[in-house]
Amino acid sequence: MPDLSVRIGSLTLKNPVLVASGTFGFGADYARLYDPSRLGGVVTKAITLEPRRGNPPPRLWETPCGLLNSIGLENPGVEAFLREELPRMRALGTAVVVNVWGETPEEYAELAQRLSVPGVDAIELNLSCPNVPGKGLIGSSPAGTARVVRLCRRATGLDLWAKLPPEGDVLAAARAAEGEGATAISAANTFRGLAIDIRTGRPVFANVTGGLSGPAIKPLALRLVYELSRAVRIPVIGIGGIAGWEDALEFIMAGAHAVQVGTGNFIDPLCAPKLVRGLEKFLAERGMESWEEVRGCAHRGGIPGAA
Amino acid sequence: MDAVALRWAVVRGNAEVAPGVFLLRAEGAFRARPGQFYMVRAWERDPLLFRPLSAFDLSPGEISFLYGVRGRGTRLLSRLSPGEELELLGPLGNGWPEPPGRLALVGGGLGIAALYLAAKAFGGADVYLGFPGRPFLVEAFREVAAGLRVASESGEGGERGLVTDIFSPEGYDACYACGPRPMLAAIWEACRRAGVALFVSLEERMACGLGACLGCTVFTKDGPKRVCRDGPVFRAEEVFDA
Repeated sequence: MPDLSVRIGSLTLKNPVLVASGTFGFGADYARLYDPSRLGGVVTKAITLEPRRGNPPPRLWETPCGLLNSIGLENPGVEAFLREELPRMRALGTAVVVNVWGETPEEYAELAQRLSVPGVDAIELNLSCPNVPGKGLIGSSPAGTARVVRLCRRATGLDLWAKLPPEGDVLAAARAAEGEGATAISAANTFRGLAIDIRTGRPVFANVTGGLSGPAIKPLALRLVYELSRAVRIPVIGIGGIAGWEDALEFIMAGAHAVQVGTGNFIDPLCAPKLVRGLEKFLAERGMESWEEVRGCAHRGGIPGAA
Repeated sequence: MDAVALRWAVVRGNAEVAPGVFLLRAEGAFRARPGQFYMVRAWERDPLLFRPLSAFDLSPGEISFLYGVRGRGTRLLSRLSPGEELELLGPLGNGWPEPPGRLALVGGGLGIAALYLAAKAFGGADVYLGFPGRPFLVEAFREVAAGLRVASESGEGGERGLVTDIFSPEGYDACYACGPRPMLAAIWEACRRAGVALFVSLEERMACGLGACLGCTVFTKDGPKRVCRDGPVFRAEEVFDA
């Protein structure tokens, strides 16, 4: 049996497959279909200091091979999360990564501090939510990214994963996050997109733009992960259109230490556990013991010995 | 809580019961409560999402869905032939509550999809149906309804007018309604005045169907609610007095 585990900062994940923020709630919904302990980890819906009700409907718009969303950070707030959701998440039997979003760098730091409790394995800094009215993407500038990570680094001893937008100077933002003590880069969030209802001539979303996810963005995200894995020394977690184990493997070959399945969960609710099985089978069939030979092999001329 | 499952089912029939409206029948033993729904797909990665469809009817060994062709997904469903396969995730959602006494079921257009199983399962309910064009599946409802009245905007196949013209909540203990929002709002006005409890089944675009993605949230008097998990059935005052 190959060893599927991966090390991300101080955390060892049993396998490199996580589920992405905002697509898996707090784990209970999909636990009606399968045991989440089969996964490497669950990343929560973004948590904010206060509860947020999010954007009005419609929040979803299907596009060719993609999905635009405008959820707008609906969440119960950090206090209710710690009281209601975290105790249940601790029983999932997998790593719990809490995604956080703040209006200011100080809010991120307060969230990081309040979430530094047993049961939280890492914090993912959502520097890239495209769907908040009047708010830009803090992670699209290296300076903004640096400031958030710096304040959070002082506020918590937990691993910090910086989740970046796919737009702006992503490589510089990633280096800035690394320089301030981030333990991993999650790349990437959704691309800002637009849909217009031709019957009304108006954007379909109240907040005008939405975030594009799904197989449509996979080549874009893969290119980004390929470049990021060279630009920083900390692990890169690949996200973007992963819907099958072959997609996940491409990200790993591009240099990702782990991957997150987001919209893939909506294509097939069993997508994430199927990915784990598919990756395990791939390693086993090639007699590989671990990820070493495969991870980043696209940078070094491919799988050793492959024709 | 019903056990949610993802499973395949073989298509038995897919009849066009009115222009652009289809009744899809699939083989298999399914258990769902009236008002619950399934996420349905018959394709791989594109279209990306399942389509949420009410369980129209259940009988031993068969489930059916009533749907209209609205976009690519429903167009693909409409082309399915007997022997082809469907993927079904469900049953999902809360479904209609047990009726407290004399029950009226009020449906507009494709909203009737959420009511047939209720009429069959609860028994003794009066059914009011409204259609923009020629009515469909009226005979099926006649077999399971205590009383049946049908309205159509053209007057073809029923009383001329809207379902809100032929329905009065007087004498009922509860009303369950499904249809376009303006129709539901009008029914709510009538029920509120008459002091009759109204439950409505809502429709929203959905991604996961399980309650995780928050794509189908509606704002209610009691805060944001997920149509897929907290609904699709809501007390009318929760939704309309928000």
